[in-house]
Amino acid sequence: MAKTSDDGRLELLQGTLDMLILRTLQWGPRHGHGIGQAIRAQSDDLLKVETGSLYPALHRLVKRGWLKWEWDLSEANQRAKYYRLTPAGKAQLVREQDRWSQLVNAIGRIMNPAPDSKE
Amino acid sequence: MRRDVPDIDDLDDEIRGHLAISIKERIDRGEDPAAARLAALREFGNVTLTRDSMRGVWRPRWIDALEAFARELRFALRSLLRVKGMAATVVITLALGIGANAAIFSVVRSVLLRPLVNRDEDRLVYIRQSTPGSGVENRTFSVPEIDDLKSRVTTIRSFGDFSTVEFVVVGLSPESRTVRAGVVSGSYFDVMGLRPVLGRLINADDEGPEAAGVAVITYRFWATALSSDPNVIGKSIRLGPKPATVVGVLEPSIPYPADTEIIANVVTSPHHLGALMKTNRSHRMTELFGRLAPDATLESVRAELSTVYAAIVREHPEVYAGQGNFQLRVTKLRDQISRPARTVLLVLLAAAAIVFVIACSNVANLILARSVRREGELAVRAALGAGPGALRRTLLAESLLLCGAGAVLGVLLARPFVSLVAQFAARFSVRAIGVSVDTSVLWIGAGLAMVSALLLAYVPRLPSAQAPSGLGLANGSVRITPGTNRRLRLFATTQIAFSFVLLASAGMLLATLVAMQTSNTGYDTRHVLAIDIPMPATGVSPNSAAEVYEEVSRRIGRLPGVENIADGMVVPWRDAGKGPTFQFTVEGYTPADGEDNPHAGLRPVSPRFFAALGVPLVAGRDFTDADRLGAEPVSIISQSIAQRLFPNGDALNRRVWWTDPLFGKPQPRRIVGVAADVDDEHVVPGIAMTIYQPIRQMGMGTAGRLFVRTAGDPYALVAPITRIIRTLSPDQPVERPATLEDVRAEVLAPERLNAFVFSGFAGIALLIAVVGVAGVLAFSVSARTREFGIRLAVGSAPRQLLARVLSEGAVIATIGVAIGAAGGLVLARLASQFIADVKLPGAFPVIGAAVLLVGAAIVASLMPAARASRVDVLQALRSE
Repeated sequence: MAKTSDDGRLELLQGTLDMLILRTLQWGPRHGHGIGQAIRAQSDDLLKVETGSLYPALHRLVKRGWLKWEWDLSEANQRAKYYRLTPAGKAQLVREQDRWSQLVNAIGRIMNPAPDSKE
Repeated sequence: MRRDVPDIDDLDDEIRGHLAISIKERIDRGEDPAAARLAALREFGNVTLTRDSMRGVWRPRWIDALEAFARELRFALRSLLRVKGMAATVVITLALGIGANAAIFSVVRSVLLRPLVNRDEDRLVYIRQSTPGSGVENRTFSVPEIDDLKSRVTTIRSFGDFSTVEFVVVGLSPESRTVRAGVVSGSYFDVMGLRPVLGRLINADDEGPEAAGVAVITYRFWATALSSDPNVIGKSIRLGPKPATVVGVLEPSIPYPADTEIIANVVTSPHHLGALMKTNRSHRMTELFGRLAPDATLESVRAELSTVYAAIVREHPEVYAGQGNFQLRVTKLRDQISRPARTVLLVLLAAAAIVFVIACSNVANLILARSVRREGELAVRAALGAGPGALRRTLLAESLLLCGAGAVLGVLLARPFVSLVAQFAARFSVRAIGVSVDTSVLWIGAGLAMVSALLLAYVPRLPSAQAPSGLGLANGSVRITPGTNRRLRLFATTQIAFSFVLLASAGMLLATLVAMQTSNTGYDTRHVLAIDIPMPATGVSPNSAAEVYEEVSRRIGRLPGVENIADGMVVPWRDAGKGPTFQFTVEGYTPADGEDNPHAGLRPVSPRFFAALGVPLVAGRDFTDADRLGAEPVSIISQSIAQRLFPNGDALNRRVWWTDPLFGKPQPRRIVGVAADVDDEHVVPGIAMTIYQPIRQMGMGTAGRLFVRTAGDPYALVAPITRIIRTLSPDQPVERPATLEDVRAEVLAPERLNAFVFSGFAGIALLIAVVGVAGVLAFSVSARTREFGIRLAVGSAPRQLLARVLSEGAVIATIGVAIGAAGGLVLARLASQFIADVKLPGAFPVIGAAVLLVGAAIVASLMPAARASRVDVLQALRSE
């Protein structure tokens, strides 16, 4: 699914970053740094998103109308841009999740065929 | 769903926030602040790159496309700079084509298409009476004819009339001068729909013999000679003997029918009040305009006028019968004004279009040759995944660059071209006066450039996926396919064909010009100075005028170098059309049935006129000072009259008289001399039917034109002659001194300009065509190096190869000339349907053009041919 890089982390599969961002924001707004940290933490440090890809992706999602931003003070008392899901973004997350599970399912069948499916 | 696009500060803030939070977290975890900062920055990576890609998200797509295209353009520029010679040729060729077209189009637009300033100008008509039977295009109208039309025609709301006279104007400018003036009825300006810029125009109150004399100044005269002086209004001036008041300045408008300086009402012209003007149906000197009635159309006016006119002709058989088939024509004023320039401009337009076609096919040739050379490069790009679209885009960028540069240069060239063409067209239509370059030239230039760029981008063949291009890919060498070769030759042949048409036409014009310039006029043109000395302003009696003239000629005769002085009424060629022509008859002559009496020009001259102008007397004597009023009436006739009416050669001492009603009772005059034929109307002399009479027997003081023959420099006499005349008669205008040679050159100027402009086009075409042929052969030779190598290797002599390439050039040229000749014939046939008097060139220009083109093509193929014959066999065989 992802190849291992030198420091033992996995590189993101093409096209999955958007879905991961939407998913991370499901439980409330976060700033960019927070999103990166969340993906890293929730993947047990296996996935690390480069800021160089994260921020353009965030802006792309805003441009498509799936996210909105607002300026707020962070926990560190810093001014930061907080991203939040829009209703359209929530719908998109559902769609992407569906597609992802179908894909995982399909690839899983090929890679690990269940013994009884053999004819 | 347009969101606010974040600006650059917003993005910086966001990144700064990210770093601050990241540093804070590290410090909270216990890291050293400086190390935390470094680690955060390292983790973030390239800040600028990230920021740029964030901005990139928000950039509209078309900017990306534009940037991509700009990249293509830069690439194209670099690759063009590697082939500077070819690029420069293309740009210059296109510039010539585009410049010529833009210039001609803008002149055509303003002369033929722009509406007149006159109010409702499309309701304005010009009415013309002509007698095609005797070859008179425009006879104008007499007052009784105009009165008849006015009282009977209903489809024309009102008529305006205009006649041209010459006045000596006193009081308007420091010196009294003769000016051309219009004399108009009170309705004229209303009919023409013109407005004043100052004061008022002539209106219905100025009509009739009891009105006060008023004059309107035309705009150009007011703006130039009077330097826009507003105080001119109310000024009292004298027009000849009559007083008049300046009442207004006319708005800038097309001066038609004549470019006059002032326009006055009828009362200022004694001639217009006389019985001859008012009652003689044949005394025609008035132009007629009309404004259509509200519900009338041009067709209904034509229908009504032809009925009315037929009735008038029936009622006055003595005037209209048997005199060259009188006809009435109605045209829109706009068409009437631009008609003479129409043919010329359409011909020029065609020439410009031909130059454009030649330029385009030449450029196509060069581009095609180039694209074959870079087939290897294109094949590599195609192999690396560039689709046909991308390859076309590359080609398009290149041709856009070339055509854009060509267009810019062309528009710059258009400026001098426009003034040249406008100056040229102004000889034919007053509308071309003051044509200048406008923005339309830019649009035309840009449009032509786009058209040619698109065409050019689609000329070359792309390396296709089907055709195995492995070879080209492998060694990047030039391979020429039969298809490409055919196309190259086709373009070259096209250029030759079109150039031939232009060259032959230019040759025809030049031949005409040469014939005109070298024709023998019968005058001694170099040594005769002609000066206009119109009758003085104040009412000088003929007797005292004669005395002044005698004294003037005595004093001029004492100037050094002066051989002869004479007086006449017509400066040859310059006064063409001003000399009157009447019917006459001679003793013992009866015209054949149904034939009119013959016409002849009447020329009042002084004694020694023939000697002064170098015209020999064939028989008899010259006039003498004794031939004056009271003495026996005498005449001298031209040789053509003598031969035609006195076939037995016994003209001397027979009698001749005018039969025109203008002369009243016929007065027979004895023929005392026969002069050699001279034609003062046409630069190429025709048959001269002329009768000369002594000025002093016609009740005139002088006839207004002084001729001085001198052994020295004629122009050195101008100052002393002016001084002599002014001493004796201070008010006397002394104008337009010129030798007959210069008068003739001036009259020939339109023809010269015509030939010059056309030769220019033809020269450009020839140049382009030669470059084209040379280019095609050079390319074909360089692509066939291997073939030549093999030929040499199997025993061909270099001379044979030379001859072979030369003959290829000659074949292209010959086929081109043949097609051009055939096409030219068809074109001429087609053109004759739209343009009157299309002439086919004679044998000499045609053969000349053909020889010139074939010769030029052979010369152009010399260099490639020499290269072919010098091919190094080993090198050539190894080259692939």
